[in-house]
Amino acid sequence: MDYKAVIIGGSAGSFQVVTKIISALPKKYPLPVFLCLHRLKHIRSGFVEALSIKSQMSIEEPTDKQPIKSGKIYLAPANYHMYVELGNKFALSTEDPVNHSRPSIDLSFESVAYNYNRKAIGIILSGANRDGALGLKAIKSAGGVAIVQDPKECQVPTMTTASINATKVDYIFKTEEIINFLLNLR
Amino acid sequence: MVTDDDVLKFISTIKNVSTYNFTNYSEKSFKRRAEKLLVDYKTDVNGLIRKVSNDKEFLEQIIRDITVNTTELFRDPEIWITLKYRILPKFKKNKSIFIWHSGCSSGQEIYSMLILLHQLDLFDKAKVFASDINTQMLENAKRGQYKYRFNLGYLDNFDKVIKENPYNYDEYKEVPYSDYFDIDKAKDIITMKKFLRDKPVYRKHDLVNDGNIFYSKFDIILCRNVIIYFNNKLQNSVIELFSNNLYRNGSLVLGAHESILGPVSNNFERTKGLYKKKPF
Repeated sequence: MDYKAVIIGGSAGSFQVVTKIISALPKKYPLPVFLCLHRLKHIRSGFVEALSIKSQMSIEEPTDKQPIKSGKIYLAPANYHMYVELGNKFALSTEDPVNHSRPSIDLSFESVAYNYNRKAIGIILSGANRDGALGLKAIKSAGGVAIVQDPKECQVPTMTTASINATKVDYIFKTEEIINFLLNLR
Repeated sequence: MVTDDDVLKFISTIKNVSTYNFTNYSEKSFKRRAEKLLVDYKTDVNGLIRKVSNDKEFLEQIIRDITVNTTELFRDPEIWITLKYRILPKFKKNKSIFIWHSGCSSGQEIYSMLILLHQLDLFDKAKVFASDINTQMLENAKRGQYKYRFNLGYLDNFDKVIKENPYNYDEYKEVPYSDYFDIDKAKDIITMKKFLRDKPVYRKHDLVNDGNIFYSKFDIILCRNVIIYFNNKLQNSVIELFSNNLYRNGSLVLGAHESILGPVSNNFERTKGLYKKKPF
């Protein structure tokens, strides 16, 4: 396997897409999958449960300095920035929101780019702001794979369009194609 | 863009010219704080290092800038509900209860505790200590004034913890906010009542260097979303400090997404979102 991690960022209109993607992944998927999704501020719990119903992989919100394992889905906790750190573990932070967002997709993606370099896969989905564009650019610059959901398919295309404008992405995929890509990695 | 070498140079400069030591801070967030400094002070790494070396006051300002000060009244209501129903009632028959808020930031969670203690008739027998590395934050905590409109969530949290009973939805206790704080909508300010503000003992404290400065052991230590900024090594030594200064069966309240890793975790039992020191 040439890859070490998948990170998916999404905001408005991404919940269905995320659900579709993670429900297609097998229980023993060979990589860790990080989800960095904007959520409504008052919805702090229940999100993991909602995603878990559809997923064969186990899903959790990591605690700080928790080791990262393959075959697991990790959801950035509400109101924390989620980084991966050297030594293959998480680091959380409650620093100010970036672009009004905490978790910030840019910050999570940048840390994944820094840690995994060309072995990272970054995917940006539907969303109504520009968060994630710089993060995806960081992944691409570090030699990783940059994927965006086809803006034509997105409920809200602002985020994917911003990403496409910010960097030369590798693929513009419909949801089904994202799933096929993730299932056929070597 | 700040490189890893820049960060190391910055850390070692601070270490050389002061007692502050950020060597074992969590690398990602520290680097981001450093980047923010460069933007805020419109300088580069060398400029920053020069200024830190030559200007003691600037150094102290930098220390204040580096710390993260996110907190709220009754942050994560679930843990306060646990304290209210499962932990604090046990002290009703005790003569005293010793509490330390370590890394108290601007103090909202100190006031949360004080309100809860008052509700449970434990206020007078409580000894409450609070510390932070950031002296500006200690001043803010003492002042007990917070923005109103920006913090409307405080009132929701207050209702959840103080007025409602999650174990019995029929029960609802009407507690006026004005028992504990005044809201001035015109000035956009919430001000904590004087009897709350006067209660805690405040001290500057650096978890890297300082031991227990309060000459007391504690029944409850709260240290919420502080050790996320530390690496494993420093986390361990801080938790050991807490462990050594908790009474048996004492409670350690960390942030909702913090946990105790490493050997010192054997001293604790995790239960209902907090850590209890084992009774041996």
